[in-house]
Amino acid sequence: MSASAGDLQAADWFAQARSADSHPASDQAWLEWIEDDGHQRAYENCELAWELAAELRHTPTLAALLAAADSLTAAPRTASAARPTWRVPLRHIALAASVVAVGAVAWLFLNRPATLEYRTAVGEQHTVFLADGSSVLLNTDSLMRVEFSGHRRHIALLRGEALFNVSHDRSRPFEVRALQGVTTAVGTQFDVEITRGGAAVSVLEGTVTVGGDAIGTSAPAVAVAAGSGVGYSQEGGVSALRPAEVDRIQGWRTQRMVFNDIPLDTALAEYNRYTRTPIVLRDPTLGSRHINGVFHIGDEAAFLSALDQGLHLKATRGDAQTVLQPEAGYQP
Amino acid sequence: MKHDPTQVSVSPAEALYPLDMGGADSADPIPADPSHRAYVTMLFNRHRVSLQRYLMRLVSPEDAAELVQESYYRLLRHGEMVRVDAMARSFLFQTATNLARDHHRRRASHRASLHVPLEDAEIAQDHLGPDEQLAGEQARALLERAIADLPQDTRTVFLLHRFRDLTYPQIAAVMSLSARTVARKMAEAIERLSAAMAEVP
Repeated sequence: MSASAGDLQAADWFAQARSADSHPASDQAWLEWIEDDGHQRAYENCELAWELAAELRHTPTLAALLAAADSLTAAPRTASAARPTWRVPLRHIALAASVVAVGAVAWLFLNRPATLEYRTAVGEQHTVFLADGSSVLLNTDSLMRVEFSGHRRHIALLRGEALFNVSHDRSRPFEVRALQGVTTAVGTQFDVEITRGGAAVSVLEGTVTVGGDAIGTSAPAVAVAAGSGVGYSQEGGVSALRPAEVDRIQGWRTQRMVFNDIPLDTALAEYNRYTRTPIVLRDPTLGSRHINGVFHIGDEAAFLSALDQGLHLKATRGDAQTVLQPEAGYQP
Repeated sequence: MKHDPTQVSVSPAEALYPLDMGGADSADPIPADPSHRAYVTMLFNRHRVSLQRYLMRLVSPEDAAELVQESYYRLLRHGEMVRVDAMARSFLFQTATNLARDHHRRRASHRASLHVPLEDAEIAQDHLGPDEQLAGEQARALLERAIADLPQDTRTVFLLHRFRDLTYPQIAAVMSLSARTVARKMAEAIERLSAAMAEVP
């Protein structure tokens, strides 16, 4: 049988009603829609499917499909690697989320913010689910402190990089402090990276403001919209608006490095964020040559092979580092 | 226009659910909060026809009418509800479904006590017989097949939300998708599964 427009709308409404940020603004439209008897029948089928699914939970077919879904969420890299002070094993997200939620209620009750600390080691990434429904993807070698209270959501990024997926809560702004700057959002997705001597903010969805000592106390905070980014230095200088680093961020969140015609030394600096045995150049002047490509994070063999074939650089592996030098007799 | 619970409490439709009837098991007192009472009453009057039709697919027509009534008292006694109408309806239908499930179990255990020697009764209760299941074998098979036939990403979104209680943003994070894509895949899953349910009488 083919789906009618009413069936499609019913599924849309049903899915929307279950979304965490579904807001009462859409309620009136839903009320008008559900008045129609045909719409009600279509909606009843959604409800029946939803409720009846519970009955199938322990059938062999569903158990196998659930195991497959679980294995997708528990990528080996994140499951074994991350070392937050308060571990959130992916296999027990539901349980952990409720533990965190209970904690959050306790903090509100005591009106005293609690602090949780999360860290990742070099080469590791980890998703952290926060009590308000927001999530944070911590990149390699990062350290973050989370402090939520009844009236604010505060995060200190002390090292590394994090991609924030902020759940909407107008009454509690979501603040990320990195070095001397503070990025503030209500509900949005943005990335903050602490780089050498400064920090970089990229906005993927919604709008944030970047302020704090980094911008100077007298100047107003800078508004940064989706698709844009801004950088600030440790000394308090702030850059003009620039394009968000969309490719690089979409890359790292899927364990890839995207090098789009960038200098070799920049690419190596990025590569070395994820490894304890960095790749260095014997002759630093080679660093100005440009490189293109997409590489899996941690796949050293593929990266070195590309450097060999593309730039004719030979690798010599040592215990502490891998040294690159031009192929004997090759002149660029 | 936004609904106003205090207005609804004096609407004639409330006569359908007069409070002095007493609940099926009125040991728990019904909270006195008039705005809660008005909201539940309004919710019922709006969705009663739909709820009864839904329950008739799970239990007999007479039992369905009784369960509608019981759901009403259950919600009144519950005392706190999210007053977002779409969510409130979900809560109502979930409550009614749980009552239908209890209803089947009660009936099955009653049957077990009639036919099964006493020492085996508990074992019989643990084992889900056909009488205890919420819906017929056909509906279950259709739904199971429809879930298995979902595209992989769509199915993963559905399973993580339905059985692992992950929110859309959480699913978006673990699957490296946007929250909007997760919502879209969820709608796609519901659409396909509800189409399978449309074939259930």
